Amino acid sequence: METPPKNMPLKNYRVLDLSRIWAGPYCTKLFADMGAEIIKMESLSVYDSHRGPVTPARGIAAYPDGEPGEEPWNRNGWFNCLHMSKYGITLELTKDEGRRVFERLVSISDVVIENFRQGSLERLGYTYEELRKHRPDLIYVSMPAFGNTGPWKGYLGYGIGQEQLSGMAHMTGYRGEGPMKSGINHGDPITGSHAAGVLMAALRHRRKTGKGMFIDVSQQESSVALMGPEVLAYQMTGQEPERQGNRSGWYAPANSYPCAGEDRWVTIAATNEEQWQNLANATGIAGLAYDPKFATLEKRRDNHDELDRIIGEWTSSQEAYAVTEILQNAGVPASPVLRGPDLLADAHYKDRGTFVTVDHPQVGLKQYPGIPWRMSATPGQVRWPSPTLGQHNREVYNELLGLTGIEIDQLDETGIIGTKPTGSRII
Amino acid sequence: MPGLLEGVKVLDLTHYIAGPYCTKLLSGLGADVLKIEHPKRGDGVRWLGPFASGETDSASGTNPPEDGAWFLYLNTAKQSVALDLQSSAGRRVLLELAAKADILVENFAPGGMDRLGLSYSELQKMNPTLVMTSISNFGQTGPYRDWKAAELNLYALGGLMNITGEPEQEPLKEGMPLAQLGAGQNAFAATMAALMYAEETGEGQQIDLAIAEYATNILENALMQYSYSGQEYSRVGNRGYGRAAWGIYPCLDGHVGIIAGPDHRWPEVARIMGREELSDPRFLSRAGRLENADEVDAYMLPFLVENNKVDIFKAGQESGLGFSFVATMKDILEMEQLLDRDYFVELDHPVAGKLIYPGAPIMPEESVDAWVFQRAPLLGEHTTSALDSWLSYSEAQVSELITQGVLTQGQGV
Repeated sequence: METPPKNMPLKNYRVLDLSRIWAGPYCTKLFADMGAEIIKMESLSVYDSHRGPVTPARGIAAYPDGEPGEEPWNRNGWFNCLHMSKYGITLELTKDEGRRVFERLVSISDVVIENFRQGSLERLGYTYEELRKHRPDLIYVSMPAFGNTGPWKGYLGYGIGQEQLSGMAHMTGYRGEGPMKSGINHGDPITGSHAAGVLMAALRHRRKTGKGMFIDVSQQESSVALMGPEVLAYQMTGQEPERQGNRSGWYAPANSYPCAGEDRWVTIAATNEEQWQNLANATGIAGLAYDPKFATLEKRRDNHDELDRIIGEWTSSQEAYAVTEILQNAGVPASPVLRGPDLLADAHYKDRGTFVTVDHPQVGLKQYPGIPWRMSATPGQVRWPSPTLGQHNREVYNELLGLTGIEIDQLDETGIIGTKPTGSRII
Repeated sequence: MPGLLEGVKVLDLTHYIAGPYCTKLLSGLGADVLKIEHPKRGDGVRWLGPFASGETDSASGTNPPEDGAWFLYLNTAKQSVALDLQSSAGRRVLLELAAKADILVENFAPGGMDRLGLSYSELQKMNPTLVMTSISNFGQTGPYRDWKAAELNLYALGGLMNITGEPEQEPLKEGMPLAQLGAGQNAFAATMAALMYAEETGEGQQIDLAIAEYATNILENALMQYSYSGQEYSRVGNRGYGRAAWGIYPCLDGHVGIIAGPDHRWPEVARIMGREELSDPRFLSRAGRLENADEVDAYMLPFLVENNKVDIFKAGQESGLGFSFVATMKDILEMEQLLDRDYFVELDHPVAGKLIYPGAPIMPEESVDAWVFQRAPLLGEHTTSALDSWLSYSEAQVSELITQGVLTQGQGV
């Protein structure tokens, strides 16, 4: 195992990470980015389902060139973008020897984190009280969909559901149409990011007091926390929010407008009168800046459809980047709607190193989202690719627990650890 | 213990949405957050409606309102200091405050702090352990550094907008400003990491967090599909990628989320919907459902439009399926799970009155007393008390600065 560079903020902390899919892994990704030692523990019978199926149907998941290969679970981009700089181990908790190993791992970890369905770990006998026997100052982060108490505690939740149950989906959609899901499941990174910050506060608290704690994360509560302004607004007005498409209640116009090419769009917003004047002038459309139909915010709102048509006609023959440049030079908020290839080729993101190229043993060189912020003293870096299933079993069990090669072989032979999945019921 | 971050001093130079959400998390966890506001205009978000007075539009007039929904929510448990940073005396006060702070968070346009003479290198000379978190639309470097942006421009440049909405219609933004709020969350995590490092090593630093980059960081599958296979994600409306019976559907009193999966649970879905036809072997696999997506929907709809959202949600959940429903604001305020967990807090505000606020986004065990819940401050409400507690300014010193127009003390109501 590697010694993390000195200048990484969380290098002194070890996290035993039982979390899966996205919410928990995003939390521990941020920890890994900051230098924490993440031991990602999976079961051979139910590994992290973000690795994809053992025998995938055609056309699902993200395999290099669409090829699942011999070990598809090691080749899925969904998983491989969330576990860089983490160690990967496997362990079966259903077997006594596996439990003994697990308890030793707990005893050397600062944090245990999981986002199983509520009560799963408890059914294996591992309550916080029990875990604390092995590590008295342990911080245990449990993040089931609806938290560890309440009538819905046993309910299942995915990120897609959290967008709906938090009210986000109620706000999103075209004008006059139904609610719309977003292209990603926002509930997951929202919960993961909240959890990362609160967990650091808990570690800091432990540093001062010597005391660990149980952190009960409800993914739903974490998502509703971002809805606060609308929850207050509803109490103030008695009105449910209306879906506004791309428009804003505060300024006009705002929308995405068609550009030259297939499915090419540019977003434009004028957030105050000066920007509106600049926008109108920059389009070069005669008289637009003085047209009484658009002279005030109220008029632009009332005549938004007509304004959209006029702006859309102006943009539709131009490239999205070209429109953006004209408008940004005039001080008007604008940006192209970027697609996958655009993101990886964009000059700004290249300049900032937003995406990083990482070499994965079963995938080769591919681009991934990197560390989501820059730090002047502790810049950090992606240190290694996402682990293949059980990749670091030997290092972790030998270097951290002091197991001998023979003992590790025995775990391997008895199916308690390994590198090949044994289950087939993985979605 | 009043909050996990008791004793941490935060100088808050943020405004609008992303920065204030970051410092709301810090103040909620008990940090001592001084929100510096312009004495006349205050935080720009104060002007945005709706307001408790019933007005829905943005406000105009001479005095910033105290009762806007966005301001009230994003600034809980902070103290407001009304300080004019355009004046040299005001900047001197700010430098003195920065010398005492553990953390400074700002979201001016890049270069804004430099123009005020408050660049990180200047501040660091006085306070080497200071963590300065700079949140901006596109970051402190790069060719788009000085571009202007509203939420939808960030959502678009971050790649999220291209994949939201109907394929035949324009790309759609989220109803909530999730790029800005999410970036505020990540800024909170980054700030905590830097604070821990500063406390352990004595070395402060500047964090450069770009909102558009936050969006790119959470693209997940949508980007990886392209990066790995060259295949682009596009807009698929309310259906999941490569899935059917996976998304938002209308029902009797609103909308529900049907999540059909894994395959071995499909018979449960068919049973709940009460349609024999759904048990057809053609629909048993994810691929089969996808191939016959319209047919599957047609068989599900009669049941859905005759039943209520909560009933459908519970029918799914009681059968072990991750169904959901599209909650309205009313639904959220009445949700039995949130009420049972005492999630909401009621805060009384001298202008806005009593309102129910979403509580802690994450609640550690009760015995730890991790969060504090207090209303948002009136403009300049804490000017005198904060200058006393942070800098031991006398009343006479404060009065003189008030006379000079550098400070104002809120009158209270």
